Amino acid sequence: MKASLILPATTGVFLLAVLAHLGFFDLERLARGVRNLGILGSEMLPPDVGILPTVGAALWETVEMSFAGTLLGFLASLPLSVLGTRRLFSSWISSFARFVAAGIRTVPVLLWAIIFVILVGLGPLAGTLGIAAYTVGYLAKIYADLFEGTDPEIIEAVQSTGASKLQLVRFVIVPEAANAILAQVLFMLEYNIRASSVLGFVGAGGLGFVIQIYLQSLDYQRLATILLLVLVIVLIMDGLSAWLRKHYLLAAQVS
Amino acid sequence: MTSNSGTPPALQAERVWFAYRNRDWVLRDVSLSIPPGQHTVIMGPSGIGKTTLLRVLAGILKPDEGRVAVFGAPTSGFGQRRLSSLIGYIPQQLGLVRSLSALDNVLMGALGRIGDGKALLGLFPRTETDRAEAALDMMGIAHKRFEQVFRLSGGERQRVAIARTLLQHPRIVIADEFASDLDLALASDILARIRRAADQENITFVMSMHRLGLARQFGDDILALKDGQIVPGYIGNKMRESSRGEASL
Repeated sequence: MKASLILPATTGVFLLAVLAHLGFFDLERLARGVRNLGILGSEMLPPDVGILPTVGAALWETVEMSFAGTLLGFLASLPLSVLGTRRLFSSWISSFARFVAAGIRTVPVLLWAIIFVILVGLGPLAGTLGIAAYTVGYLAKIYADLFEGTDPEIIEAVQSTGASKLQLVRFVIVPEAANAILAQVLFMLEYNIRASSVLGFVGAGGLGFVIQIYLQSLDYQRLATILLLVLVIVLIMDGLSAWLRKHYLLAAQVS
Repeated sequence: MTSNSGTPPALQAERVWFAYRNRDWVLRDVSLSIPPGQHTVIMGPSGIGKTTLLRVLAGILKPDEGRVAVFGAPTSGFGQRRLSSLIGYIPQQLGLVRSLSALDNVLMGALGRIGDGKALLGLFPRTETDRAEAALDMMGIAHKRFEQVFRLSGGERQRVAIARTLLQHPRIVIADEFASDLDLALASDILARIRRAADQENITFVMSMHRLGLARQFGDDILALKDGQIVPGYIGNKMRESSRGEASL
């Protein structure tokens, strides 16, 4: 066998074995799934829009949680990512900062929400802190990698004017990465809107609590309304980020 | 080593050796001495080590052996701020921040004199903004001061880079392959402006270049780098006098 085929062939065999183990070749079960999909679909229609006034508050809470959580996480991720930039700090400091970010990122957002429910009690405060924590871990890693990719010539040139590290961050590193910084925050905001809609499962506020009630009482028409609401919010966020990108991102940053 | 008048040379390298980690020597026993106010051009084919030599002279790279001195004082003992008050460095790609305006880029030349707090808020003293605008004006590009750098042409960016270095008020400016990508007329114009600005403030200029015609026009002295060494008399003034037109080394 040609050496170039070894990797794809091994991957293919492994994939088939894994799919079999996970039940993908249980045709009877898959057929039942398709039938159930039809039943679930029919039970969801028509969505019960009568609950809109009731779930309005929970929906708003979800938006608040993701907005505040994303921004708080973003602000906290900036210093951590600067410390994690090897070009600016010794490998001890940057490795430690990156280790902290990796540790935060290891814990899924749902688990963060549970931790904060234990710490500050039930409600949206716990959810917001959970979202902020996960956002810090994710953005600090992305930003540290971004900052490290800054053109070394620019850093050298500005350093030779006598600029301090803080001044380098302010005048070179952040402006050079501005496009990517904004794009990643917007991505994180979209992600957090979706994530925060299930945080209520663990008592951390927002729509999740309502979703859980309707799921448990098999009230699929009302559940459908909630899913549609989340879809609408995500679409609005998409539109908003498209607008922000258009107005604030630089059209052509490459020389 | 001092010049004839007894004043120490602006920039001096004494038996400098340099190699990048685990590689061959790039600079082998380089010695040179540049008097204050002189404009020196370093020539040599690409890949010969001109950039390395300039970076060693600018204090960005530390020589493995030998020493570099500025006005008689070895640069090895200097901190970044002390070094920046003496030497301005312009890399080949200019090192401008593309998303910021020409004026913001020029103001970065003043960072060595400004505290972190004010700089972080972008609050530059009025005197510095006035000087930055004057430097842009001297380079003939004041009308584009609010344009973002990525919207400027190659020649305009060169002017911004020089204006930033002028605002730094260094005694010596070291520029790598400056004006090399520009057409001859534009390059001549920019070099003439630099010459005026440098003479006005008695700045010593060291520049690498590969176009002999420009080097002759700009340089008081031309040094050639070959096989990691300065070649004595290889070009010097003799070749400057005998060469005509735009030749290339």
